[in-house]
Amino acid sequence: MGLVQRVIEGYGIPTVGISIVRQYTEKVKPPRTVFLRWPFGHPLGEPFNRAQQRAVLLKAFEALTGITVPGTIVDVPWQWKRERYE
Amino acid sequence: MRMRKRHSRLKNKIIAKVITRFPSLAKGLIDAYTPRETEGIPWTPVRKPLSESIVGLVTTAGVHLRSQEPFVMTDPDGDPTYRKIGRDTPSEELMITHDYYDHADADRDINIVLPVERLKEFAREGVIGGVGPSMYSFMGHIVGPHLYTLMNVTAPAAAEGLLKDGVDCVLVTPG
Repeated sequence: MGLVQRVIEGYGIPTVGISIVRQYTEKVKPPRTVFLRWPFGHPLGEPFNRAQQRAVLLKAFEALTGITVPGTIVDVPWQWKRERYE
Repeated sequence: MRMRKRHSRLKNKIIAKVITRFPSLAKGLIDAYTPRETEGIPWTPVRKPLSESIVGLVTTAGVHLRSQEPFVMTDPDGDPTYRKIGRDTPSEELMITHDYYDHADADRDINIVLPVERLKEFAREGVIGGVGPSMYSFMGHIVGPHLYTLMNVTAPAAAEGLLKDGVDCVLVTPG
């Protein structure tokens, strides 16, 4: 995923990625990433949990506009199924 | 040969289910597939406020239209091609072909891997300027010679598509 992201950024489009495997992201080094320690297949969270999905997207937007150092990974501390989202 | 391929797909699907359920078991697999370290980091500054930006969506979750060719699952090196999906495609017309993660939940709600409905909500609310007209969908798990194709042929083609679409920034999601 990070590899595709790097190519797009190289074409002059700013990118942000959502990662669930920090180890891959550290190696591949995409420009901007938010990392969640969540299971495979659930980067935006649980099915039909609209508030959770929106919260993850807002974190990604924040990273897109806020990260100034290339390769930054923002660790989102939300625990799987143990948080409340408004 | 066909029998062996079928067995290997089944094995991959079982592994995907198990590691989604018990993430601690995934560590060995993650170690085995950790990619080579890359050099340098590409960087394009954000030029527009988010509220004026058209956001493009790219995924490696293996999503495609039911009418499109599924991703190839019998090649252990993966499939480096991508599928272009219209932003307003009804979710019933989408499906996932990807044996390397358990997509049972994503099959119920595609937004957990391809959050297009949520992006459209943010566009209606003025948080973002809009959503790109097309989404570009790859499958992850690409290794060996297909990495060259991904990096030099298919990912650049998707990037050119995104430029033509006029997106200002891109969100990339995994499976």
